[in-house]
Amino acid sequence: MKKFYSVLAAMLLASMILTACGSPATPAATEAPVVTAAPVTQAPSTVAPTTAPASSINCMGAKQGDAISLLYQWSGAEETSLNKVLQPLVDNCGIVLKPESTRDQALLDTRVKAGTPPDVAFWNVAQLIQYKDQLKTMDELGAQRDSYADFFVNPGTIDGKWLGLPVKADVKTIIWYSPANFKALGYNVPTTWDELNTLVDKMSADGHIPWSMGLESGDATGWTGSDFIQDILLVQQGPAYVMGIINGSIPYNDPGVKKAYETYGKWAMNPKYAVGGAQGTLSTAFLAAIYKPFADPPEAMMVKQSGFAGGEISKQFPTLKQGTDYDFFIVPGAQGLQGGADWMMAFSDKPAVKALVAYLSSPEGGANWAKATFGLSPNKGAAGNYTDPALQKLGQALSTTKGFTPDIGDTIPGGFGSAEWKAIVDYLNGGNLDKALSDAAAVQAAALKK
Amino acid sequence: MASQNIPKIMKHGNLTPWLYLLPALIVMSFFIVYPMINTVALSFSNKDGAASAATTCKAGESCWGVFENYHYVLTSEFDFSSPGAFWDTFWKSSFGNNIKWIFLMTAGTVSIGLAFAVLADRVKYEALAKAIIFMPMAVSFVGAGIVWKFVYDYGTQQVQIGLLNSIITAFGGKPVAWLSTPGINTLMLIVVGIWIWTGFCMTILSAALKSVPDEILEAARVDGASEWTAFWRIMVPIIMPTILVVITTMVINVLKLFDIVYVMTGGNFGTNVIANRMYTEMYKNFNVGRGTAVAVILVLAVTPFVYYNIKRFLAQEAIR
Repeated sequence: MKKFYSVLAAMLLASMILTACGSPATPAATEAPVVTAAPVTQAPSTVAPTTAPASSINCMGAKQGDAISLLYQWSGAEETSLNKVLQPLVDNCGIVLKPESTRDQALLDTRVKAGTPPDVAFWNVAQLIQYKDQLKTMDELGAQRDSYADFFVNPGTIDGKWLGLPVKADVKTIIWYSPANFKALGYNVPTTWDELNTLVDKMSADGHIPWSMGLESGDATGWTGSDFIQDILLVQQGPAYVMGIINGSIPYNDPGVKKAYETYGKWAMNPKYAVGGAQGTLSTAFLAAIYKPFADPPEAMMVKQSGFAGGEISKQFPTLKQGTDYDFFIVPGAQGLQGGADWMMAFSDKPAVKALVAYLSSPEGGANWAKATFGLSPNKGAAGNYTDPALQKLGQALSTTKGFTPDIGDTIPGGFGSAEWKAIVDYLNGGNLDKALSDAAAVQAAALKK
Repeated sequence: MASQNIPKIMKHGNLTPWLYLLPALIVMSFFIVYPMINTVALSFSNKDGAASAATTCKAGESCWGVFENYHYVLTSEFDFSSPGAFWDTFWKSSFGNNIKWIFLMTAGTVSIGLAFAVLADRVKYEALAKAIIFMPMAVSFVGAGIVWKFVYDYGTQQVQIGLLNSIITAFGGKPVAWLSTPGINTLMLIVVGIWIWTGFCMTILSAALKSVPDEILEAARVDGASEWTAFWRIMVPIIMPTILVVITTMVINVLKLFDIVYVMTGGNFGTNVIANRMYTEMYKNFNVGRGTAVAVILVLAVTPFVYYNIKRFLAQEAIR
């Protein structure tokens, strides 16, 4: 019994010491502690400044020790990369970053409604519309407009006010394939949509299933389908048409949209074209779908998925090499790119926030983003600074594209995203396409009604 | 005199009971009454709670004015073009699914729970047997949903990693997409609900069975009643009040059911339920008016059962 109490006392003492050390009361630490994925409720970790080297970073009047709270969805390796990008700013201006990482959008929404938003949030474009009355404009925060192409500024401009800074882009208009399998079977990477069509038919005739499709993603089931359909729209109609859907001038049940759905459905619902046919497409998890073309033996030849798929393939198959065992090509015939961007938005205009905005929108910020290998940077300063071959290829496509369209579902507020997914799921599940599209069009009209 | 020791505050007037109730009343009104009133108020507003719901009416379409959110919630899932279309859409809607859940899950948990309670009473390792049945109760709903998602997994490969499909393919059958095929998917989700809640029903019913006097059962057996007759004519009537309370409790649980559907299908493929709709409208579509309207409808649906449970409880108190 005595021993029990001494153990208990030792544990109590240890926990007291631990909690004492865990408090964020040391902003002026001499070495920068690694930021860990912060829990949702409280983020004790901070990025503290190291001794300041001379640099061209404009601190915008921020003082040593000024703190800003950040809220974003990145964690783990992504968060480490972000810290790499931000470290020069922290070193130079002595700003203390207080990050919190969560994927729960309800948390951000609750804070904004409660009047206690984070100083800066990195979130989706829909939040720019949702919080347009609370956000500070990028102009008053001193962002450098000429670092960005128009198609990256426009989605972030709401009611004439530039509210969001695109910081990280992901190109979705790509198809992953195995160069090894293509070579062994004598297939060539298609360069036009017709070539892709012919290739798909040829694969199917050869007894190989061309597409691996997987829509299942919990309560977001359907998003991989909406990505695919938007790419088909970019091929068949072009970026202006897609922007028309986003601003409501083209209803979602337009014949052009229906044609894209039918093109997609022809593949997705046929077991000769997509693994498992309609039920396979509906119930395969989107991650499982990424793996199928690279399994041994391959279950399919191609999978249409965004840039992040490369990382998932290398995690699942560590022995495969990018470039020879897995690689991607831009959707042939696409007249523009589809992509998502993570947007930085500011609820505060204190000097430290201005310093962050100025840094990220500067050529130096873009270059550092590219060097950190943290996805693509929409900042023109990123060009030529990528080190990863896949990012170089995507960066090249991004810098030459004629149009860049955000995800339709993410951009239209008011539940259009889930209405779009529902339309796809219902259609593949044997529902009436006209009804599915007119339901989604009704949500689109209601969401965009002024 | 003993009464002199009683504090003065306890002896005086009509105010005293209220003073004792005050802390509870403050907490209740702050955390329950105010949110409820606010919810009802918001259900008559538009999507950000700033204007009346009547402003969301579309020109040329039927409109319920300030009740427009209720109009949307009650009708938007249905296709009124023909009776057949209505019938089809009704049974895929959240309301139709909740009805399926109420009947099948309540019947399943109560009957299986009762059967186990009676049978476990007669085995040597009663505690162990009951512990096994009760164990799913200890698993979080989300955890149970994920576990069962693996059981129902539909693989497109020859090798099925889903337990159910690997059994079917082992016997030469064709794998079934359990969670995405409308019609069977809701039934599959209800099985998960039954798996979780049967232990709860069994425990309460088992306690009630223990209170059935042995003398009556003995007497019945001496009179030549079979076990089956003894069960239906003696046990069930005696524990009927408990069975009714368990049934109403289960109905309340089922009406509020959210976790299993959210985790396993996200309400897709025609498996939506009312509580998941509330979440979707509120936190995915950010439509405060419609979200709260669903919440109010849910409260109204639950109220009769809660009322019945309380009445039952008070009646039992009165007997004691």
